Amino acid sequence: MTASPSDTTATEDVTGPSALDSYAESVAKSVGALSWSTNFDTVKVFVATDKWTSSLRTAKTELGLIFFSFLSAIHWSNDVEVGDAPSDPVDERLEVLAAVGDLIEGHLVHFSTSLPVNGAALATLTGIYGGANWHEREAAEMFAIDFVGHPNLEKLYLPSEFEGHPLRKSFPLLSREVKPWPGTVDVEGMPGTADDAPEDSATESMPSGVSTENPGR
Amino acid sequence: MTIEQEALKHFSEVSVAVELQTSDMTLNIGPQHPSTHGVLRIVAKVDGERVSDVTPVIGYMHRGYEKIAEVRTYPQITALVNRIDWVSGFANEVPFMAAAEKLMEIEVPERARYIRMILTEMARIASHLMFMASYPLELGATTPLMFALRERERVLDLIESVTGGRFHPNFNRIGGVQPNAGAGPTQKKAIQDLPRGFLQGARDAMDSLLKTCVEFDELVTGNEIFLARCKGVGILSPELAADFGVSGPNLRASGVAFDLRKHTDYLPYDKVQFEVATGTVGDSFDRWLVRLEEIRQSAYIVQQAVDQIPSGPLQAKVPKIIKVPKGEAYVRAENPKGEMGYYLVSEGGQGPYRLKIRSASYSNISVIPILLEGVLVPDIIAIMGSFDFVLGDVDR
Repeated sequence: MTASPSDTTATEDVTGPSALDSYAESVAKSVGALSWSTNFDTVKVFVATDKWTSSLRTAKTELGLIFFSFLSAIHWSNDVEVGDAPSDPVDERLEVLAAVGDLIEGHLVHFSTSLPVNGAALATLTGIYGGANWHEREAAEMFAIDFVGHPNLEKLYLPSEFEGHPLRKSFPLLSREVKPWPGTVDVEGMPGTADDAPEDSATESMPSGVSTENPGR
Repeated sequence: MTIEQEALKHFSEVSVAVELQTSDMTLNIGPQHPSTHGVLRIVAKVDGERVSDVTPVIGYMHRGYEKIAEVRTYPQITALVNRIDWVSGFANEVPFMAAAEKLMEIEVPERARYIRMILTEMARIASHLMFMASYPLELGATTPLMFALRERERVLDLIESVTGGRFHPNFNRIGGVQPNAGAGPTQKKAIQDLPRGFLQGARDAMDSLLKTCVEFDELVTGNEIFLARCKGVGILSPELAADFGVSGPNLRASGVAFDLRKHTDYLPYDKVQFEVATGTVGDSFDRWLVRLEEIRQSAYIVQQAVDQIPSGPLQAKVPKIIKVPKGEAYVRAENPKGEMGYYLVSEGGQGPYRLKIRSASYSNISVIPILLEGVLVPDIIAIMGSFDFVLGDVDR
């Protein structure tokens, strides 16, 4: 069910709001969210970018959501290098998700905010949740998001000289094009085949997932 | 000793201390180190025997599963996800399936849910037994390894008899489990189900396992050297644990009785009785005790599930080509290492638009730099080992 706090259609559901719905609504009201949803039992609360830290601070101090589960992002884009494009056109944006929960009832709330694709910047959560440190570093290198105020926004997984932001939809799955696939280059030929056999057959030189025309499926 | 002599002695001690003043040293552990459970590198600044600052360096095992998942179909991703935490491969598959099933609104048959639960608990036992083997080994005791791996082998044999794989079962299907489970060459095709003798084998293995738990108590838990190495070492407060997203046995050892098996319905845990093991202090010793107790509780779950398992189909009706309707769902599960979750975003295609993998070890070890501040160098191993992480689960 999706609704904004002022939306009256939310209560016109035949079965009435479920416990999860009323929980999501109360969280959304407490943090001053734009809207909320509980589709597929996943509580999502949409907040404005400038209210990001204040709503998560409220969540931790007043709503008891003390457990920091994860922070990540989704790159919504119609022009994708890998995989399928969205079925319906979407607004180009980076959606940042921070999942926090309590340790008594087992609630988990996904706070969501949208950032522009170019020059994405968001205030850091490291002052509120210590665990945000690594998650923000990961999101920064994978999606090119600048977490303002982060103490050490260096690359976490990738080598420091790595260029590009792999989880952006504009980033092609290049690794096997850049690094020769050992199965076709380094290894000596199978018995019965000459070592200098041609290695440029279509199936061998095009590992799955690199072609933009046929993305591996 | 006269006052002059004392003054002289004091003066000489002071001057020696001034002369011996040393600069901080950098101690590098890993990436290839037996206690790092894979390829973790720890860069520690040490002042003599004291650790002043620790930086874990991760990423040596980064395989980019979140990106690869975007160009794979849902059935293909099964093979990816059971390689995240390879010590408990089966347990990784279940929440991913549950997320896809949630979006497709599929009801999984009860028998398949029970088989998933039995094998998940066996994966938990196998994972915790690996900890029972490796942790004393890191502290210098080699014998417990033999006891733990002997029992683990029994459990892995059972998993293998059903799925065909010891570590990477690749056995879950969207809508249930592989319908021809255990249909080896010796079995008639008509009875394609759990292999013959599996249920009795599971009962025997659990009985044997519970006896081994007693042996572990006698061999390790009361051992004076073991106690000296891990009691009061690496105390993790519940607030710090929650703040960093530490979950699973590490969180419960700090006294938080939070277990997702009690809160979510991804598997029929409401049909079996078990207790949530918790610690009191949150030190390395508590983390040992909690895991030992969880092995027992998992054995009880398997015993009950084996007695209760209903008959019926193993897979719900699903289309041949699996397309997941548009939507977003997050399903999390209590894995051996902690909370494992998949945030699945589907746009109606044969593969996900985005798959965020929330793995437990990643958050668990992010707190280690804080715990290691000010400890002695040998405690680095005693604390890191007690967190029971796997680098595949950290780097994904």
